Amino acid sequence: MAELTWGRRFLMCPPDHFGVLYEINPWMHAEVRVQPDVAVTQWEQLVANLRAAGAVVDTMDPRAEVPDLVFTANAGIVNGLQFVPSHFRHPERQGETPINAAWFDAAGFTVDVLPRHLDHEGAGDALPFTPEGGRTVLVSGYSFRSDAAAIPELGALLGCPVRSVQLVDERLYHLDLTFCPLDARRALCAPTGWDAYGRKVIEALVPEPLWLEEDEALTFCANSVVVGTTIIMPHTPPRVGRQLEAWGLTVVESRVAEFLKAGGGCRCLTLALDTVLT
Amino acid sequence: MAHETVELTGHIVDSLLLAKVLDVIVDAGVTYELAEVEIGRTNTDVSRARIEMEGDQAELDQLVDALQLHGANRVSAGTTTLVAADQDGVLPTGFYSTTNLATDVLVDGTWVAVQNPEMDCGIVVADGAARTIPMHRVRVGDRIVVGRGGVRVHAPAKQRGPTPFEFMSSEVSSEKPKALIVQQVAERIRAAHDAGGKVLAVCGPAVVHTGGAPDVARLVEGGWLDVLFAGNGFATHDIEANVLGTSLGVSVAEGLPTEGGHSNHLRVINEVRRQGSIATAVESGYITGGAMAACVRTGIPFVLGGSIRDDGPLPEVLTDTSAAADAMRAHIPGVAVALMLASTLHAIAVGNCLPAGVETFCIDINQAVVTKLADRGSHQAHGIVTDVGPFLGHLANALCGPA
Repeated sequence: MAELTWGRRFLMCPPDHFGVLYEINPWMHAEVRVQPDVAVTQWEQLVANLRAAGAVVDTMDPRAEVPDLVFTANAGIVNGLQFVPSHFRHPERQGETPINAAWFDAAGFTVDVLPRHLDHEGAGDALPFTPEGGRTVLVSGYSFRSDAAAIPELGALLGCPVRSVQLVDERLYHLDLTFCPLDARRALCAPTGWDAYGRKVIEALVPEPLWLEEDEALTFCANSVVVGTTIIMPHTPPRVGRQLEAWGLTVVESRVAEFLKAGGGCRCLTLALDTVLT
Repeated sequence: MAHETVELTGHIVDSLLLAKVLDVIVDAGVTYELAEVEIGRTNTDVSRARIEMEGDQAELDQLVDALQLHGANRVSAGTTTLVAADQDGVLPTGFYSTTNLATDVLVDGTWVAVQNPEMDCGIVVADGAARTIPMHRVRVGDRIVVGRGGVRVHAPAKQRGPTPFEFMSSEVSSEKPKALIVQQVAERIRAAHDAGGKVLAVCGPAVVHTGGAPDVARLVEGGWLDVLFAGNGFATHDIEANVLGTSLGVSVAEGLPTEGGHSNHLRVINEVRRQGSIATAVESGYITGGAMAACVRTGIPFVLGGSIRDDGPLPEVLTDTSAAADAMRAHIPGVAVALMLASTLHAIAVGNCLPAGVETFCIDINQAVVTKLADRGSHQAHGIVTDVGPFLGHLANALCGPA
């Protein structure tokens, strides 16, 4: 199968200051304590798994005031050397935007910004899918964290076609909890997270989806990172694992239970730096 | 009814967003119109849709909020652009061209209804009010609406449930029960009068040829017609029938041509011209009956518009067509029902001046006349394909009692 053209270089942020300090999704409970040592170990294991699969991992410095900086998928959207920083819906995370913009600026990216009044939470709500022989389409979720009105603006900034999909299950509040492109034909898809129109959009785009049952989707198995033919998953439901292996993927389970307490899995902890959308 | 417009942009077709937004609108029980749709030619081109919705304000407010979730944003109606005319009789370039539908213009932040809705005009704004203005009446300095910004058009109100004329709106056909239709036209005329509306009759010469002129006179005398538009032909033959008993030389009573009858109409025109006006000829006793005499005696206003083929014409005929159209326009406000009686050109001319809200019945033996009127934009016209003479007899009986 034709491997993904991206997913060989990632940005991550060490979890030095990570903790569940506030509640902005149904998985977060401030009374649940994060075990910092375990979090660091799990994060380092994820880095090791990515590197073992052949990926390069860059890191940014953590900041005490923004514990969720660790979820770099929400930093923004990368398109070659263009970067569009996220505009966060929750004030708790809005402090991350200038930090992300500064990192990408220093790394030589051109930083283009969305209109201030529109929210969009970056690669957490937007993942590219490149069908065989077709051009790359950015699939973008909206409703809980991103504004539908931000999506055409994003398409205009990035210069690529964008398909919007409405997210309808608050537990699957970002697109990257419901959608994981595997290659040019396949993707993990959690249809219970989308409205009927969104399902049709994905059906039309992805020739061979692996439809996840609701209980499978709620294990965050779609919040996985694909590096070539390796898929690094926070959890692997047996049926899903068997299908992925039948398709020739090497399944690596990378435990990130401490981060699941904040509603984030493997994908949330990474941002692909090598996506090219146009 | 309140109105809201939302705009949706992006890859709204491939994302099924347009379909979804329209479904949401329909589910809310709100009617909409896709005012503008631009579909991108390739899958990278963005598409854009402008959706106008009509419903009650609370319903629309809720809906607009719901649509915002999907990225459809309320469009501020924009601002009205007014350009001063720099030449008499000429509208500024890019002028807003009217329809015959009820229209509002945003004037100083308030929607103002455009007075005298009429198709193919401009809109002039003065002293906080807006009205249609035919091109030839424009004067230097008139502030004319340019472009679509700040203009909204009300879709014709769709009647819910069966209406008296629902069965007629299917298609124009001669195969309809005429007696029933006559009764229903009579009902509409009564209802219009009860509501304080005026009834307009537009008469062609065939009304006289088919023996219908005395029935028009009965309707005028009975107070059922409030204004009459016609040409030189109708008035001439009406007078000819009264004075000489012929219509274009044919005996109205016997249906046979009379000797020398081909000049009869010229002789009555000549005599009325000698006396100065139809009114004088009625006063002098030269004209003793008929539709025109009924109008003169009851004081019902009439406008006679001229044409190139007119003989004479009669003194009241307005040979300047712009002046004739203006004279007709002066009588249109308040008209609720219009009867187009066996008149092709006049019916279309009057149809062009009528707001879409005027209930219009086009009675003609020729189906083409009825469809032609609708094709010229008077979509509100109900067609009744029948011989106008008997129709008028039945209508006068229905409204005035048997003759």
